[in-house]
Amino acid sequence: MLFFQSLISGILTGGIYALAAMGMSLVFGVMNISNFAHGDLMMLGMYMAYYLFTLLNIDPFLSLVLIMPAAFVFGYAIEKTMINRVIGHPSENQILLTVGLGLIMGNTALLAFTSDPKILTTSYSSSSFNLPGDISVSIPMLLSFLVTCLLTAVLYLFLSTTRTGMALRATSQNREAAQLMGIDVSRMSAIAFGIGTLLAASAGALIAQTYYIDPFAGHTFLLKSFTICVLGGLGSVIGAGVGGIVIGVVEAMSAAYLSSEWKDVVVFVLFLAILLLRPRGLFGRKGEQ
Amino acid sequence: MKHLFLALTAALTIFTTLPAQGAAPVKIGFINSITGKEAQIGENLTNGATMAIDDLKARNIDVEMIREDDGGDPKNALAAYEKLVTRDRVIGVVGPYTSACANVVASRADQYQVPLLVPAAAKEEITMKGYRNVFRLNAPADVYSNVLLKSIAPFRPGTIAYIYAANDFGVSTVKTAQVNASTMGLKEVANEKYQQGQPDYRATLAKVKAAQPDLVFLVSYDADAILLMRQAKEIGLTPKAFLGAGAGYTTAQFAQLQDISSMVISATQWTDDVNWPGAADFGVRYRARFGKDPSYHAACAYEAVRIMALSALKARDSKVLRSALTAGSWNGIMGPVRFASYGGYTNQNNHPMLVQQLQAGRYETVYPAQFSKKKLIYPYRR
Repeated sequence: MLFFQSLISGILTGGIYALAAMGMSLVFGVMNISNFAHGDLMMLGMYMAYYLFTLLNIDPFLSLVLIMPAAFVFGYAIEKTMINRVIGHPSENQILLTVGLGLIMGNTALLAFTSDPKILTTSYSSSSFNLPGDISVSIPMLLSFLVTCLLTAVLYLFLSTTRTGMALRATSQNREAAQLMGIDVSRMSAIAFGIGTLLAASAGALIAQTYYIDPFAGHTFLLKSFTICVLGGLGSVIGAGVGGIVIGVVEAMSAAYLSSEWKDVVVFVLFLAILLLRPRGLFGRKGEQ
Repeated sequence: MKHLFLALTAALTIFTTLPAQGAAPVKIGFINSITGKEAQIGENLTNGATMAIDDLKARNIDVEMIREDDGGDPKNALAAYEKLVTRDRVIGVVGPYTSACANVVASRADQYQVPLLVPAAAKEEITMKGYRNVFRLNAPADVYSNVLLKSIAPFRPGTIAYIYAANDFGVSTVKTAQVNASTMGLKEVANEKYQQGQPDYRATLAKVKAAQPDLVFLVSYDADAILLMRQAKEIGLTPKAFLGAGAGYTTAQFAQLQDISSMVISATQWTDDVNWPGAADFGVRYRARFGKDPSYHAACAYEAVRIMALSALKARDSKVLRSALTAGSWNGIMGPVRFASYGGYTNQNNHPMLVQQLQAGRYETVYPAQFSKKKLIYPYRR
């Protein structure tokens, strides 16, 4: 019973990790930038879901319809006004810019919303159903996982079938070559950052229903997202998806069979082991730096 | 010429005597977790400290309190203390909030000879090393578990499980709880230490559920408490009692979430329904000003700043201040306060802790008998 309980919890939590990491991976793939403000973008999604629910009574899952376009526009604007100035510059500049952006967002949220954690409580927040063997499945976590699967499928179709998606992939594979082929790589960067922000905010809105919301709540997921991106292969969206599930399950199993305080140790030992055996990560492209 | 000389002399006399009349306000420091993981509870301490300074100002007592944020990080707390005593030249410091920060700062207080009054940090060690310049207002961690287990002892539970944050407060509280539980004859069936701020504790809770404990003893800061109780409800963990050792189980927000917090028993340093001078009034004024219920963190910060400010005002020197804190006694919203040496502690206020239970969304004091108005409900019913 403990095994299956942990497995299900791990898969459901891993789904949210995956969604958060996919946005970061896409941004890294297309722009070659490590976005240290990614956790703070998640935090914005959490607050948007919270206020849309408490002020306008919009269910957090439905609120994604409003949060996603808003987050895309926000990300697009940030890229156009700030991030594109450091593309191609030393990584220290990029790190300083994104860390600075994160600090501004986190502390602005602290001023605006105070440090009191907000709890998004819907009628089904603490509800669950039991599978045979007394295995409990959290309803909001399950719904979040299904939405994550849907978003992943839409992202996959977008990247593989649309012209913009293919242009994004081309830019991700070789920025210079894509530019020579007539692709507006500057626009692709803005779109990639917009989608990355959209995915981060969506992950925030989904996790908000089972987590707490405070100005620094996204930081918990920042390190996890980096770990997942490297584990899955930097720039690989599929890798981020699989990596998220792997991390979620490993965490849950470690908590169940070792101790909760050991789960990070186990995750990072596994992380190092995979990098030793496959330095490019699980789905990293051959020859990628 | 003579008139000019007289006028200048008079002006000089007035000028030089003015500072003596309106002497520079005495400076004290206040280190707190304004940002970081503990910022929510830190805000309660900030509110309490602000009210204390405002109350003193209303009585024409001018004390300058210089605030520093440690972000919950011990090295920031130490840097803040060193900045306060060397650059700002404060003569006494209140804070920091967390045990980890307070423990580090306490180790340097004797070196700088500037008294440190710790309002809330509970790790025993802070006042057990014989530091002459370290004082603590609240009861240490061993009292949390002691009072909680004493309150539940008449119901004769048989087994206990521990779930606690892997930090100084969690570890030291559970360590003493294990000693107390063993004395009571309670059998330990699970011991789960967790990393704070994780989104999923279900696997840990499932493990505890499988052990079927009578009591689940929890030590968590703010939001983790809510997450743990929410996920405990999801997976159907229903012991005979949930015992929350302070911090996250004593906040107004936790009380509001009745579907998960109802009947949880917690140890607290203060409630506003206890017959201590000004406690009820503090509760009323706090609610009016900040729009929420005061936690014990707010109350102890208020009292610590008040004691430090009043003592500093008289002493005006850190060495005299140390003597004043050692010899003095106060009676305010935290009840009688005296920093004494007993049971291995130095400069420790022997503060009586209270046990409260969330009944119908309100914290009701249920133990000890002299402070309680309601009876403890056992076993736990969802």
